[in-house]
Amino acid sequence: MKQNNLIKLIFLIPFILILTGCWDLKGLDRQVFVIGIGLDVSDEKGKIDITYLIANPEVGTSFAGGGTEEDTVMTVTMRSPDFLSLRHSVNAAVAREISYDLLKVIVVSEELAKDEEFIRFLYSAEKDREIKRNTYLIVTKEKAAEFLSKNDPKFLTRPHKFYENMIQRGIEVGFIPNSELHHFFRVTEEDANLFLATYATTNIRQKEDEYRINEMDALAGDVRIEGETNSANFLGAAVFLEGMMIGTLTGVENRIVMLLHDASSITDILAPIPDPFHEDYELTVRIRKQHNTSVEMNVHDMPPKIHVTLPLTVDVLTDPSMENPVDNKKKVEKLRSTMEEFMETKIMALVEKSQKEFKAEPFGWSLYARKEFKTLKDYMEFDWMRTYPEMKIDVDVEIRFGQFGRQPKTPSYKGIRD
Amino acid sequence: MKQNEGKIGIRDYMAIILLTLGSKVSDDTPTLLYKTAKNSAWISMLGIALLSLIPILFLLKVFSVHRNKNLHEINLHLFGKVMGNLISMGVLLLGFSSFVLDTSVYVDIIGSMYFTRTPTLALYILMLVVCGYGAKRGIESIGSAAWLTLFYLKATLFLALIFAFTKGNLKFIFPLWGPGTLEIAKTTGSKLSIFADFYFLGIIAPLVSSFKEFRKGTLWAFAIVVVEITAALIIFVILFDFTSIEVISYPFHETILYLSIGFLSNVESMFLPFWLVAAFIRFSFYLYLVVTLFGGIFKIKEFEYLVPVFIVIVLFLGIMPKNLTYTLPYLREMILGILSPLFFILPILMWGMAKLRGDFKREAEQSH
Repeated sequence: MKQNNLIKLIFLIPFILILTGCWDLKGLDRQVFVIGIGLDVSDEKGKIDITYLIANPEVGTSFAGGGTEEDTVMTVTMRSPDFLSLRHSVNAAVAREISYDLLKVIVVSEELAKDEEFIRFLYSAEKDREIKRNTYLIVTKEKAAEFLSKNDPKFLTRPHKFYENMIQRGIEVGFIPNSELHHFFRVTEEDANLFLATYATTNIRQKEDEYRINEMDALAGDVRIEGETNSANFLGAAVFLEGMMIGTLTGVENRIVMLLHDASSITDILAPIPDPFHEDYELTVRIRKQHNTSVEMNVHDMPPKIHVTLPLTVDVLTDPSMENPVDNKKKVEKLRSTMEEFMETKIMALVEKSQKEFKAEPFGWSLYARKEFKTLKDYMEFDWMRTYPEMKIDVDVEIRFGQFGRQPKTPSYKGIRD
Repeated sequence: MKQNEGKIGIRDYMAIILLTLGSKVSDDTPTLLYKTAKNSAWISMLGIALLSLIPILFLLKVFSVHRNKNLHEINLHLFGKVMGNLISMGVLLLGFSSFVLDTSVYVDIIGSMYFTRTPTLALYILMLVVCGYGAKRGIESIGSAAWLTLFYLKATLFLALIFAFTKGNLKFIFPLWGPGTLEIAKTTGSKLSIFADFYFLGIIAPLVSSFKEFRKGTLWAFAIVVVEITAALIIFVILFDFTSIEVISYPFHETILYLSIGFLSNVESMFLPFWLVAAFIRFSFYLYLVVTLFGGIFKIKEFEYLVPVFIVIVLFLGIMPKNLTYTLPYLREMILGILSPLFFILPILMWGMAKLRGDFKREAEQSH
């Protein structure tokens, strides 16, 4: 009986050979993996310049043993009507079959993103089977081709890891939005809201007076980081309306959007805010969201009203004025009221910007409006996007203090100076 | 060669229903519902379930007095030789057409989402040969295969749906009544035949070990499947929103292509094999039903030998439509539209005939 089974098993072994399939067979060593696709405007109508960022699979593996002198990445740029036919055209210069299986980012130059035609080119991503909806969209200040070839990280030289980690960390701390293609398509098709895409550049201002050293209320390229590190910044967001780029948000503005938006996965924010006790210094606070933003809406009034309450837990981590606010109820209250005021003005400024400049909102408030309607038809007739710029919006920040650093008390400044 | 003599227990019977009906979430059934009911597809699904309960209960009532007869034999008994055969033939024709269409949908999914370069014909042949083998082995084998794989299939489906749920935004289900109650009601009426499988299950009714188990299994499996499909319909909406869901042809596959679980980014290769196994079992079972009914009508005792012939016919019919992507949804909708009223009316008609013939009274007398 046992032997019988063994013979049967042996008969089955040849079937392993057909498991690879016949037509869709792909050898790993016969492919090259595209990590990023760059899209740029070309002079010819109906075509774009497309750049591939191709990873070298032999670098960084244990086989190479550090002996290879090959580059980790290479870039190829060609003119093409879309990025599907390019897969074959590129084989004129690249030796292996192009695979999009590890595609992480689609990089678009600001110039193309602001073009009305842009959407035509990007939608072919929805048709290709290998391009996943979780690919990230990045907008660059310079040409995408330039960005992809100039970006040269010191660590994480394997590009798929670099982009994955860079973007994920950026989203966690709130400097860049979660710009998966999935969200781009969803927001564009819904046609009521703004979509935010990651903004990045390698084109960093060089003149002394043109860059700011340490403020995140800036766009990529405006912040200069000294030392030898990446030549690229990922900071801020490109704002898309109806599939076309119409503006930008700074890193801080993007954080505000992410705090207000319930669907964002922001965990906590470390940020400096003005110290109420000493105008020269700034406090560092950690801001966390306790629970979802509460949004009350009255859509039947004209103009409609929105009242937003943002509950936050704030840990005050530094005390440069050495005033010891923990001890004193009055000081805590002062801290709270100035902080709330500070945040509310920041938020309201952004809300106003969205109403006046963009004429649409990135905060996801239209989702709350949906609840107010019974059918899709009613909701469509209400026309969220047309109504939004006239709405009366007020935002309330409610702060609850959490910890005051590892050690809440510091000796007073005066006491030490005595 | 009398494999059809064997009976299956409630366990295998339920596993078969859960696989055949449960895998409807992964073909184009959700798309057909979203097309008209938009984000309220799940409400119309609940409506469909409520309405389907009526014919299912009538069917069970009829089967309760004819415990050793299958659907065809009951038709003959109730409607007489001519009408009975005609009705059975109509049922066979519809069942066969939906079998052809369902297999082409699956081949289209595999061809457009996973194996883009493999010719459709090759996929079709492979699929039908595997299902033909399953059907040839008979209901017992199909039942135990279904039971063996049920846990893994449902576990992976559950996993995929849970991950999709965490990625989605619950607010997308609003406005609750979507395109309006009228549209929802229309969808409910025209897509009622999603559960028409329960009518075809009558073909194997006498093969389930006892009528009590048949009834219990049917009702329980029905409840589970309704919950499963409704949950999936909600989850697809909260992931894609009502505008995108309309342009996506196969939401389940788009979902598993989009998902990434932790550091694993290409998880569809984890779900695909399970889904394929479910498809094989599902179509083995459908093929078995079609062949059994055919054998019953034309009095062919060893109907297993019909399987190869049927495979060839299905193959030719299945690849006949020139452009699968465009013609399939249209044909599918047509057949669902024809089946819906029939599925609702036929069981009631059967019950009425049984009542007229006094079958229920006789049963009551016997039990005294």
